[in-house]
Amino acid sequence: MTTSTSAPVTAGKSTAVAARTRGLRKEYGSTVAVDRVDLELPEGAVLGMLGPNGSGKTTTIRMLLGLVRPTQGEIELLGKPLPDGAEQALPHVGALVEGPGFHPFLSGRENLIRCAAFEPLLDKRDIKQAVEDAVERVGLAQAAHRRYRGYSLGMKQRLGLAAALLVPRKLVVLDEPTNGLDPAGTREIRKIIAELHAAGSTVLVSSHLLSEVEATCTHVAVLHRGTVVAQGELTELLQAGGSALQVITPDVETALSALRSAKISARPLGEGLRVELAGTSAPQVIETLVKAGVGVYEATRWKTGLEELFARLTEAEEAERGMSAVDTLDGGPR
Amino acid sequence: MITRQFGSEVRWMLRRPRTLIGLFGLVLVPIIISFGIWTAGDGDSGGPGLAGILKGNGLVVPIFTLFLSINLLLPLVASIWAADGLAGEAQHGTLRGLLVAPVSRVRLLFVKLFGLAAMSLFAVTLMAVVGIIAGTAFLGTDGMMTLSGTTLDTGEGLVRIALFIVLITFQMVSIGAVALAVSSTTEHPLVVQAATMTTIIVFQVLGQFSSLDWLHPFLITTGFPGLLDVMRDPIPVDQIWDSTLLAGCYLLIGTGLAAMRLITKDS
Repeated sequence: MTTSTSAPVTAGKSTAVAARTRGLRKEYGSTVAVDRVDLELPEGAVLGMLGPNGSGKTTTIRMLLGLVRPTQGEIELLGKPLPDGAEQALPHVGALVEGPGFHPFLSGRENLIRCAAFEPLLDKRDIKQAVEDAVERVGLAQAAHRRYRGYSLGMKQRLGLAAALLVPRKLVVLDEPTNGLDPAGTREIRKIIAELHAAGSTVLVSSHLLSEVEATCTHVAVLHRGTVVAQGELTELLQAGGSALQVITPDVETALSALRSAKISARPLGEGLRVELAGTSAPQVIETLVKAGVGVYEATRWKTGLEELFARLTEAEEAERGMSAVDTLDGGPR
Repeated sequence: MITRQFGSEVRWMLRRPRTLIGLFGLVLVPIIISFGIWTAGDGDSGGPGLAGILKGNGLVVPIFTLFLSINLLLPLVASIWAADGLAGEAQHGTLRGLLVAPVSRVRLLFVKLFGLAAMSLFAVTLMAVVGIIAGTAFLGTDGMMTLSGTTLDTGEGLVRIALFIVLITFQMVSIGAVALAVSSTTEHPLVVQAATMTTIIVFQVLGQFSSLDWLHPFLITTGFPGLLDVMRDPIPVDQIWDSTLLAGCYLLIGTGLAAMRLITKDS
């Protein structure tokens, strides 16, 4: 998928942004939920917000929507500073936060009508049609007359999405939109995100499902322990993630010492080595190994997937804290 | 926009099963009272019983019903509505939806307060109307006997009932406003109801101790009996005015606290 704005991430400051945070921090009592979050959401992008559970994704989203007051930092939403500009910005923002919230004694349709009554951009005459359109769009038309109480998790999620899409939005924020959905439902969500993207809306989607983000997003922000550890265009991040070489050799010890003396970082993995290609190249590595008399059976270029990038980003932090020496990179070459 | 939000709020409250059950329960009160008086029959000693005394006095039933209910039943209903209004919406996650719509937090409070006031007026009026009908059916209506011993004609009696409806509704809304303040601090509707009802009951107990008479002018429950002055002829306004002023203070304080809490609340 190509982005409409082909400007590189480094030039991101000059391109228009749908939302931006600076030095965002939120404390709940003595716990710091989010700290130093500088997030940039380029206009027209589909930004995937990744992070393990408890990494501060939802807190950040709630602050972006003006639901939670940051302890520190600034937020700009659709060009308006929060919280003062919330009333101008929020009508153009559709959101599904922390799971769908509806009244169990009302039907899906009645719930949406109640939501619609509070949408500033929706004219009273258009409410009925907007509700029907939204219900149709998320594939809930058959169940719209049923009480929300009896909805399955997937149907609830769809209704939440419908509420976010009642009005054409400049920005749609979806917090874990595929939670509880079956594969077909997940595909439909992807389709809706693609449609929004094609229509020029900006989408912020948080997920802990990496494949989900890899499939739908143009941009990625990785959160870990309440702070952004990486963000930018997906393709660039994956490239900048550096590539590695998987070398199969019976002589791991010799190979390691040879590489180390050549100042190439490597570590044992499986039946061989994993060699980082930062500051070096594959032919150089193989040459070094061969010169040291190491038998190279196989050398495979290890293309970084989002999963690996994510693991490395979140793991690097842990290693810095000296907490984890466990190798969780159990994925193989692709 | 605001009228549409008010409308949505009242419709939402009316669609709740518990509201309908509550209203049904409320209209039973005047019916039971009328029936109770009617069956009281004549006294054992041969003198006129309660039914005999109140014969032709059906218009007393709505007043008596509301006066009885403001002590416990109507505060309970107000606290339920206030609890569902903010704590209940927070519990269901619907408060977030309203806030990102967006509805400004102050406006949201006014929408909630309006819903509470509209439904309170509706409930109190409904009780009074059923009271008039039941009272007339069981006891007959022949003007209204006042506490001063005079008798008002039916038209004047209805005016007094209308005045009493307004006064009782105002008391109920004031209690509801305080309950809304509690409601803005929690996600548990039951906490709101328990806190409100405990307060009302404790106030009534405190009101019994003459050693605490310095406290009595501050208790909203102290003002309830004075409202019965609408049944006097002519109406002495002092106590009614004091009670209403006291309720007004509760309304202002409750709304103010709720607004302060809502504005800074994380949701």
